[in-house]
Amino acid sequence: MATSTPRPRLIHFMAAFGTGGLLTLMVHFNGELGRHGNALFSSWGAHGTGTVAAILFLALLYRRRAKSTVERPPAPVWAYLGGLSGAATVMLTSLAVNSPLALAGTLALGLAGQVVFSLGADLWGLFGLPKRRPTLRDLIALALILAGSALIILFRGFES
Amino acid sequence: MTIPILVAVLAGLLVGLSRQLNGRLAVSTSPLISSFWNHAIGFAALTVLGLVVGGLIPPGAEDAPWHAYVGGPIGVVFVAAGSWVIARIGAVNTAILVIGGQMVSGVVLDLFLAAPTALWATGLGVILILAGVVVTQTQAKR
Repeated sequence: MATSTPRPRLIHFMAAFGTGGLLTLMVHFNGELGRHGNALFSSWGAHGTGTVAAILFLALLYRRRAKSTVERPPAPVWAYLGGLSGAATVMLTSLAVNSPLALAGTLALGLAGQVVFSLGADLWGLFGLPKRRPTLRDLIALALILAGSALIILFRGFES
Repeated sequence: MTIPILVAVLAGLLVGLSRQLNGRLAVSTSPLISSFWNHAIGFAALTVLGLVVGGLIPPGAEDAPWHAYVGGPIGVVFVAAGSWVIARIGAVNTAILVIGGQMVSGVVLDLFLAAPTALWATGLGVILILAGVVVTQTQAKR
């Protein structure tokens, strides 16, 4: 792995930013499911309906997908375990939200954890993805976005 | 207080780990197939957990409106998109752009729901995030 890195294009950056909006909607709806049940039920239900939706999407796209001529390297077994990590996240987050950290503290520390992981992941090319030395530009963007996020999270719910 | 802090940071680390693993799987399969496995394996694990600890379907769950279940399908698109971009723009750019998008759209949703906010802090936060997004764009090939 870590041989050919496709050139980044504007659409990739916009897609990443746009999916942040999907995350907001997802958290909103899953929260509603959690209010009717509990955190475990919310995550279980979302993973269940998600599995069904993924099968439907794949079925819809199946005919359009011509057989790829490019030989792809097989995936190691551990690459299939992203779902375990995701399921564990839900449990840990609901534990932290119900601690003195509350929602704001949980979100802020969670962002810190994500950023630390991503820096290590790029620096060492962890888990078979391309190695990518963070540039000064990456670090400036990181500082701006984290500072802005911290302001929004920590002042949320306070009237000015 | 130390334990909740470690738990919250670990949750964030696992978000990154999950995206990295799904991104690697997408390289060998496709982003949508990767998202399918993410949800199917997560569902299996949560089913086992729910059966072991009990209360998988708590009372009141059947009263949830249909739209409360829309989060699942949205998550499929979210995971697929993340798996698609991470191999192209890297883990750091993916993480900070998704975080920035989540924050800005959250502010919009709050305005929509008329949730109380400190306007100066929120406004400044959005400006800083958008500036950061512009900085990441400067490396894109147009």
